[in-house]
Amino acid sequence: MTYIPAIPLLPALAFLALLPMSRAARNRAIWLPLGAIAVSLVLSVMAFAAVWPGGAEKAAEPVYHESIPIATVGEATIDLGLRLDPISSAMLIVITVVAMCVQVFSVGYMRKDPRVGWYYAVLSLFTAAMLALVLADNFLMLYIMWEIMGLCSYLLIGFWHEKEASRKAAIKAFLTTRVGDIGFAIGLFVMFVTVGSFEFDAVLGSAAEWAPGVATTVALLLLFGAMGKSAQVPLHVWLPDAMAGPTPASALIHAATMVAAGVYLVARSMPIFEASGVALQVVLAVGLITAIVGGLLALVQHDIKKVLAYSTISQLGYMFIGLGVGSVIAGMYHLITHAFFKSLLFLAAGVLIHAYHNQDMRKMGGAARALPITSAVFAVGSLALAGIFPFSGFWSKDEIILVLTKDGQYLAAAGALFAGFITAFYVARLWFRVFTRKPQAEGLHEAKIGKLAPMCVLAAITAGIGFFGPTLGYFLGHKIPWPDLVVAGVSSAVAMAGLAAGWWVYGRKGGEIDTGAVKARLGAIYSALVAKLYFDEMYERLAVRPFTRAASGLAVFDISRIDWLVDGAAKAWGAIARVSWRFDDRAVDGGVNGVAEAIWAFGKRARSIQSGRIQTYQQLALVAIVLLLVFVVVKG
Amino acid sequence: MGESVNTLAFLVMALAAIGGAVGMLTSRNIMYAAFWLLWTMLSVGGLYLLLSAEFLALIQVMVYAGAVSVLMLFVIMLTLRRREDAVRSLDFSPSAALLAAVFLGIMYYGISNATFPEVALLAEAPNTADLGVVLFTMEGGWLLPFEISALVLLAAMVAAVWWTKGQDRR
Amino acid sequence: MNIGLEAFLGLSAVLFALGLYGALSKRSAVMVLMSLELMAVAVGLNLVAFSRFVTPEAMTGQAFAIFAMVVSAAEIGLALAIVIAIYRHARSVELSALERLKG
Repeated sequence: MTYIPAIPLLPALAFLALLPMSRAARNRAIWLPLGAIAVSLVLSVMAFAAVWPGGAEKAAEPVYHESIPIATVGEATIDLGLRLDPISSAMLIVITVVAMCVQVFSVGYMRKDPRVGWYYAVLSLFTAAMLALVLADNFLMLYIMWEIMGLCSYLLIGFWHEKEASRKAAIKAFLTTRVGDIGFAIGLFVMFVTVGSFEFDAVLGSAAEWAPGVATTVALLLLFGAMGKSAQVPLHVWLPDAMAGPTPASALIHAATMVAAGVYLVARSMPIFEASGVALQVVLAVGLITAIVGGLLALVQHDIKKVLAYSTISQLGYMFIGLGVGSVIAGMYHLITHAFFKSLLFLAAGVLIHAYHNQDMRKMGGAARALPITSAVFAVGSLALAGIFPFSGFWSKDEIILVLTKDGQYLAAAGALFAGFITAFYVARLWFRVFTRKPQAEGLHEAKIGKLAPMCVLAAITAGIGFFGPTLGYFLGHKIPWPDLVVAGVSSAVAMAGLAAGWWVYGRKGGEIDTGAVKARLGAIYSALVAKLYFDEMYERLAVRPFTRAASGLAVFDISRIDWLVDGAAKAWGAIARVSWRFDDRAVDGGVNGVAEAIWAFGKRARSIQSGRIQTYQQLALVAIVLLLVFVVVKG
Repeated sequence: MGESVNTLAFLVMALAAIGGAVGMLTSRNIMYAAFWLLWTMLSVGGLYLLLSAEFLALIQVMVYAGAVSVLMLFVIMLTLRRREDAVRSLDFSPSAALLAAVFLGIMYYGISNATFPEVALLAEAPNTADLGVVLFTMEGGWLLPFEISALVLLAAMVAAVWWTKGQDRR
Repeated sequence: MNIGLEAFLGLSAVLFALGLYGALSKRSAVMVLMSLELMAVAVGLNLVAFSRFVTPEAMTGQAFAIFAMVVSAAEIGLALAIVIAIYRHARSVELSALERLKG
């Protein structure tokens, strides 16, 4: 089992090897990360095979567990280590398969990009971090990898940094997930103070004996971190914007793996959540809200990637619902199936975007005839998303609804079914817009084999994995029953109803779509949804702008000698100020007006300090320093 | 005898340094200000000699009085081509003066109240060779930082070239 | 009158304060840089004085003074390069030409 560390190490080494190369050399060396991930895939399969016999029994007694001490804090030693147990081995397979498919797909998709080498390098580092995250045997290492992934997603979202939108989306993603990470970090502190260790065994083993207050605190803080990473309402705002990155990267990061980290974290720390009880309820509530809100927002998007992004948010909500009733297996099962079908959908969307040179669904259409294979795999993926038998989503969604009903959470089950209905509806909307009706573009062409092959692999997994559910459940240590006929019937009926409703609205007229009537009738709701339920506006007004002001205030302390001379900094500030100004210009009338006005007035006054004269800043800073000195000299 | 010369030398050079600094701040012509700065640098170099830091005194003259001043003069000549540009108002700022004065006051208070470790002065001060041992041998302990500082200079040089040239390439 | 550590520290404080005043009040980028150099020199004097009076054997202060000189030489080289770049951009080295950091 000594090869286990090589699984995350190989892609990481590939990244390190690419890092110092020149751009041209890097672009030629993309076989390096490809080779690394291929070997990792083989090793992961081997690891999986080693864990397979006996499966569940090995959960308590990991097959492989090695750690090295890195630091001593007081009495406690801090170790970093890897452990291989059923959940992590299953995750290994998911990550390496999806990463492999994405990397192979990217060969064709990103070939012409002048920075393809850098893209591959970051992709490789990202995969390495995710692999190390699922192999980690302690929360500290998990946190480190978590942050590396945050960095990688920042780099990938902002990959086309020539574009303003990409840069902004990257910063937004970084900052939004950071908000969650702060919760995670504080949770870790509390955990360490309580247990004196970050080890899964030590922490989770003793969780049941913690004071309920402590358990709830830690659980909620960890949940907050997971909400940032897994894009749960209200920290979901970064994910749709993150679609500014390359589409295959979206497939890997924003569908299959990175957002899964949050779910994985909650699943891993389930004993803490169970010890708390309250925290589980919160997980359930967050999941329900996210599933429904994400679905509703997906309804009004015209950008195909944004539809998929919101559906990801909604599906992640589904996973949280599963976790919220204490069923690790339901959440993880949906995580696994979702990883495959959503990355499939993103890759197929990438092909469509290339074919139409556009992301707007209204400008697509007729893809079924022009791109038959892509359409077929997209159909598989979208049926899985809608939860139609026999595709993977059906099985895992059923499992979630089943555990809900078993737990007596009928209200939550109804909510989940409603989210399922919306899902099926927007799937139908997407389908009829993109694949039927008259093509809105000329010269459509099917993708080449290099792109089709990975999609077909993912489609095959999506179509087949459901039948192995019970086996997988046994392996992971919980029972996944064959779907209960009643539950399956109800959920299938709901999904079919959603599809039918979608057809009635979008497909009935044989293509030409007139949604004006619907929009008119639902005026207020529609515009609220189009405005993404005002989440962004709210943050802009309540958090971003005051924060920018506070930051400018703090910048006064920066008497760095040359900083202020750098013209670029001035330009950047100018840009931020302009953005903020433009927003004021068209400030939306919202329910938050009162608060916002007060903050605005405060900001206006605070602004006068920021004259732009660097020496004013220096003098202010010096006043502070002098005061400090007085304090030190007089007191000391 | 030695003590009085020492005191006298210190007083002369300290006054020269302060005078140079004041001269720099009060000259209307930037060119003269640069020469006043050069004067201060040379005085401080002399003070280094008083502190029996011969090597540093030389470095001070070469780096500050030589290289930096020349660089300053070049930049002044490059950016302020006409004589009128170089002559400017005094830019007196009461708030800055007050702040600097308060700062000086605190410093004076701090220095006069602080107690420093009493170390017996060596009969024979260490010379440049000893400094070489400190800087260039493993036993001295400063070898690695010294090499790193060489890297810093290299990086700064590359960056300076890039900044002054970079504009045209874009 | 005995010349000790305090005298050097006092001198260096005076030079530093003068440099500080210049950095805070002058409106020409070049003048500000010269004032910064004055402050750097004051710091160097401080270090050497400490070296002479506190660690005469180990010469820690002198080693530090050399590093401080390296950093300030690097800084002044870079800063002047930036001044030239700014001059190209704005045709001026007045700080008022750079007041774009306002909110």
